[in-house]
Amino acid sequence: MSGATRTRLIRSNTTTAVAVAAISIGIAAVLFGLGFAAMFELIALTGTLVGFPTLTLLGALLVVQGGAVVTFGLGSRFSVVETNPRPDAGAVAAVVFALVWFVGGGIVASQLFGLGLVGWLPAALLTGGVGFAVTVLPGEDIGSTAPAGAVAVLTGLVFLSDLVGAQSVWGLGWEQQASLTAEFMIPVLTVFCALLTGWAAAKAYGGFGARGRRAGAYLLIYLNAGAIVTVLFSLVAFTLFKGLPGLFRGVAVGAGVGPQSTISLFGFGFSFSLPVAWPFVMNGVGLLNEFNGVLPAIVGTFWLVVGAVLFAVPLGVGAAIFLTEYAERGRFTQVVEVATNGLWSTPSIVFGLFGFAFLIPRFGNGKSLLSGMLTLGFMLLPLVVITSREAMLAVPDEYRDASAALGVTKWQTIRSVVLPAALPGVVTGVILGVGRIAGETAPILLTMAGGVFVPGSQTANVLGGFQFTASPPFVANPQLLEATSALPYQLYALITAGVGASGNVGNPDEFRWATALVLLAVVLSFYAVGIVTRYYFRRRLNYE
Amino acid sequence: MAQAAETETGAETLARHVRRFREFLATTDREALAVVGVMSLALLSAFVGFLLVSAYTIVPFAVFLGAAGYGWIRYQGLTARLLMLTMTVSTIVILLLIITFIFYESVPVLVYESTTVLGVSVPGLRMFTQPNWDAVSSPIRYSMVPMIHGTVMVTVIATVVAAPLGIAAALFLSEIAPAPVREFVKPGVEILAGIPSIVYGFIGFTVLSPWASDQFRILGQGTYLFVGVVVGLMALPTIVSVAEDALNTVPESMKSGSLAVGTTDWQTMTSITLPAAFSGVSAAVLLGVGRAIGETMAATVMLRGVPRITDPLYNVFYGQETLTSLIARNYGEADGLQMDALFVAGVILFVTVLVISIGSQYIEWRMRKKFGGDV
Amino acid sequence: MSEIESPQKGAETAQPRQTTTGESDEQLRAEWTDYDFDGEAKLAVEDLDVHYGDEHALKGVSMDIPERSVTALIGPSGCGKSTYLRCLNRMNDRINSARVDGSVQLDENELYQEGVDLVELRKRVGMVFQSPNPFPKSIRENISYGPRKHGTIDTGLLARLFGRSDEESEERLVERSLRQAALWDEVKDRLDDNALGLSGGQQQRLCIARALATDPEVLLMDEPASALDPIATSKIEELIHELSREYTVVIVTHNMQQAERISDQTAVFLTGGRLAEYGRTEQIFADPQSQRVDDYISGKFG
Repeated sequence: MSGATRTRLIRSNTTTAVAVAAISIGIAAVLFGLGFAAMFELIALTGTLVGFPTLTLLGALLVVQGGAVVTFGLGSRFSVVETNPRPDAGAVAAVVFALVWFVGGGIVASQLFGLGLVGWLPAALLTGGVGFAVTVLPGEDIGSTAPAGAVAVLTGLVFLSDLVGAQSVWGLGWEQQASLTAEFMIPVLTVFCALLTGWAAAKAYGGFGARGRRAGAYLLIYLNAGAIVTVLFSLVAFTLFKGLPGLFRGVAVGAGVGPQSTISLFGFGFSFSLPVAWPFVMNGVGLLNEFNGVLPAIVGTFWLVVGAVLFAVPLGVGAAIFLTEYAERGRFTQVVEVATNGLWSTPSIVFGLFGFAFLIPRFGNGKSLLSGMLTLGFMLLPLVVITSREAMLAVPDEYRDASAALGVTKWQTIRSVVLPAALPGVVTGVILGVGRIAGETAPILLTMAGGVFVPGSQTANVLGGFQFTASPPFVANPQLLEATSALPYQLYALITAGVGASGNVGNPDEFRWATALVLLAVVLSFYAVGIVTRYYFRRRLNYE
Repeated sequence: MAQAAETETGAETLARHVRRFREFLATTDREALAVVGVMSLALLSAFVGFLLVSAYTIVPFAVFLGAAGYGWIRYQGLTARLLMLTMTVSTIVILLLIITFIFYESVPVLVYESTTVLGVSVPGLRMFTQPNWDAVSSPIRYSMVPMIHGTVMVTVIATVVAAPLGIAAALFLSEIAPAPVREFVKPGVEILAGIPSIVYGFIGFTVLSPWASDQFRILGQGTYLFVGVVVGLMALPTIVSVAEDALNTVPESMKSGSLAVGTTDWQTMTSITLPAAFSGVSAAVLLGVGRAIGETMAATVMLRGVPRITDPLYNVFYGQETLTSLIARNYGEADGLQMDALFVAGVILFVTVLVISIGSQYIEWRMRKKFGGDV
Repeated sequence: MSEIESPQKGAETAQPRQTTTGESDEQLRAEWTDYDFDGEAKLAVEDLDVHYGDEHALKGVSMDIPERSVTALIGPSGCGKSTYLRCLNRMNDRINSARVDGSVQLDENELYQEGVDLVELRKRVGMVFQSPNPFPKSIRENISYGPRKHGTIDTGLLARLFGRSDEESEERLVERSLRQAALWDEVKDRLDDNALGLSGGQQQRLCIARALATDPEVLLMDEPASALDPIATSKIEELIHELSREYTVVIVTHNMQQAERISDQTAVFLTGGRLAEYGRTEQIFADPQSQRVDDYISGKFG
């Protein structure tokens, strides 16, 4: 039973072979980085890098890397290196390598040798078949290293030879001359080879077998997670970097530098000047303005969110209470569930169309703030229902039973036990939902869109706008029925207006980036608050 | 209860409801009944008035508010219950209103684009059988084919990008990441979901598109390839968070069982955790696909806005128009039939995404049934 | 022969001592570490401390487990017996907040050191959990899962593609494991049914069979019968007795009668994560050394 086939319980981690595999992973990482740097033109393919021409350096590294990986496989095969290989490299690897070799063979045959379909298809099939056979037949060590290493070596040789220059272009013969350029393909191939050989080297590092597969998979998964986080940070950082100059242009601090504000109290007007002037968020766009800003859009977004929340939150929370506390599970709740999930996944532009067809004729036949509020409210509603329901279902039944056992009516139980316990969840859900709708453009595009450059005088003043009229509907608020701007729409309008139409603002590009930054800041602050709230309440739940 | 509801016939259900309603009438006092009646009637007439675009809508609505206020003071439990029922019903009503209005608005163009097949006139068929969209010169044609092609291209590319990366990231978050890393990456992914699509579109428009047209020597800007990548990036957080939830529902005992027979955690993930969470993970991908189909702003600002099919069909280096961007770009100058044609695009989007949503719910429901509610 | 590496290692056999109340821990320790047995120590545990965050779950436990026997761990809930068990195959690594200090040796290989192959360790030290946890797969797949993942019955992708499959060796393995777990006769006609369709007792025996399929040397059982009815329990008990001929079995149980029935030696853990007493089962139950253990066994607390 326990005999020679048993592997050792303790692995020593410091053999030369393991070190070689680790170095190979390191080279793959370097290639990966160089590939991306070349793709985004941080390093020039035609230039030099540490004294060598870039292309030569990439080619040489690829050859070394491929060679190292293949050598490791051979070493394992001939028992120079102690490993645990399986009979084959696995189905996924087989399919991937077969595809890579099929495509590679096809491209070489058709582009390099200029063969037609009759020529390149058999060639591609042949190379694909060889790739598959090498992956599957000789055992896992050869199977996972040789096909990957060979690809890297061949690519490296192509880079080193004069077959491909840094300026080569392959026309695809498609509409309007889209073509693949060497300046794109070389980085892509480098990154691809780095991934393949890096994976193979990680497998070798783990000694193949179950452990090796884990190492290979983990390498890719960690890379993926890292890439996602990197993309996120670069998006935010890039917007910040581009937007900050415009955002803070003309900021001044000191007594009396800010815009005049008037507070009316018991008929007495009391005017004062804010001690801070921040033109971008305090001004509109005007010919006489020294610095232009997006105040109307900020105010518009504020009122949109307020309106949507006032509409959707009571409705959504009420529906959630009814579904969890009153309705018995059956056909009706199922229908509501399907309806809310359907509403939740409905594209935002469809909400816009709906608002356009349903709300606009009913509110003064023109785009208006009120229509925008309600359209966003419709979008927010399903999210409120779903999150509130989850929060209420998470309230333990013991709470309800304990309250009911005291002879309290159902509604009182809900009001004094269920709702307070579910409140954190509901609040978090609402905040995150608000973050989502505050950044939505498509629905308000069709229901309330204002102008491109909005003068400060068009800032919505909802509270001051209510009036009573003699004719129905007796109460009116022209501010609600007027089109106004909002941040996401403003950004869209700035993009579509193009650079030519933006004579009003001094530096249109700066203005656009600053608008994007303000929008991002508004939306992300909702998310940050939502996430922190949830974190806080979870901790409190866990430790109480 | 759900079991009982499934087994009893419609007539029995009806009888049960009638009985319960009678009981309710008998046990509730007169005044409460009157309040409830007034509230229901007022709300109903306010709704009808609103639908008919009546200026007097406010009257029954005021009555409703008054009755609700009175009821809240006198019979809080009953009033609350009625209000909540109303709110629940209103979610369904909103969905129904959306369906009604976007279908209703699209009728004229469907009639205009009728084609006769085997002697039967099929409304709207021509929008799908010929590929020309021309709203200006005669013959005026509103074909949906180029936009469907664009939406399919963008969605396929986005899914190819987002599905594998999303599932891998979900595995990372739920199974692999050490606790401190998870606490850092998870909110990061959520924030990624929060970045407004117009910001993605803006960055794509100002950075990615010029770069792409330089790299591929394209005339002009806008490629399905990079719109797809950007949309995929936007669908990614949806896939990650839903798939992660699904992976977290796989019981720890099952994973421990696998680890205890001496498998690596990677083998446990691929052979036990992923198959057990398959329904949730596929629902996550479906939801991501739905997001990608409905994504509007990035496509609108990054595409060319020419309703034409690319040549060849798989030419990803050109980006013409998707269903969503068609609506966002043309709503302004459109009226009459062209506006109605935009509603047809909306109907296609709505129906596709609704089918996907219901499909993913069905998959989850089936799997939950199979695993007896555990997984 | 004895290879225990405890400081009190000696040839003297355990002998009854007078019990005194209020003994110090040091005294208690001196008594149980004197427990000696014939045969090899399969697992040697020295000064094992486990913390879960701020909670000190196991305090300075040292006990050696002899080969091919049944060792029962008893004690009230929360006394650390399951924690101890989970240290023997490092399943505690799954719990993020867990910190383990001390030494555990399997066949004189230290388990808590760099470079230990957890996969190999868990192949040698199998585990059966408190509640049955079969995979949502067929009975056959449940048994062959471990060996397949280890590559012992896997002949490769090509063999599978061309139909030269590994069915025969799988068949033999499945039958052997199910027979060992006394489940073969009940399920031999429905090996392809989903394992979740079995009864609780059958599921637990399936989990035992699954653990045996990977040829372990040690089998850890964490209250394997706690969720089962009396008939299923007695089947599992018989089975454990059978298994101890070939395997080293360590079993955690709540049920003192069960420990008395099936085990060769018994360790009593008392609240606070300390090992109170360890010795031959007959001796522990007939004449415990400490008053507290006596109280616990006679049901005065716990």
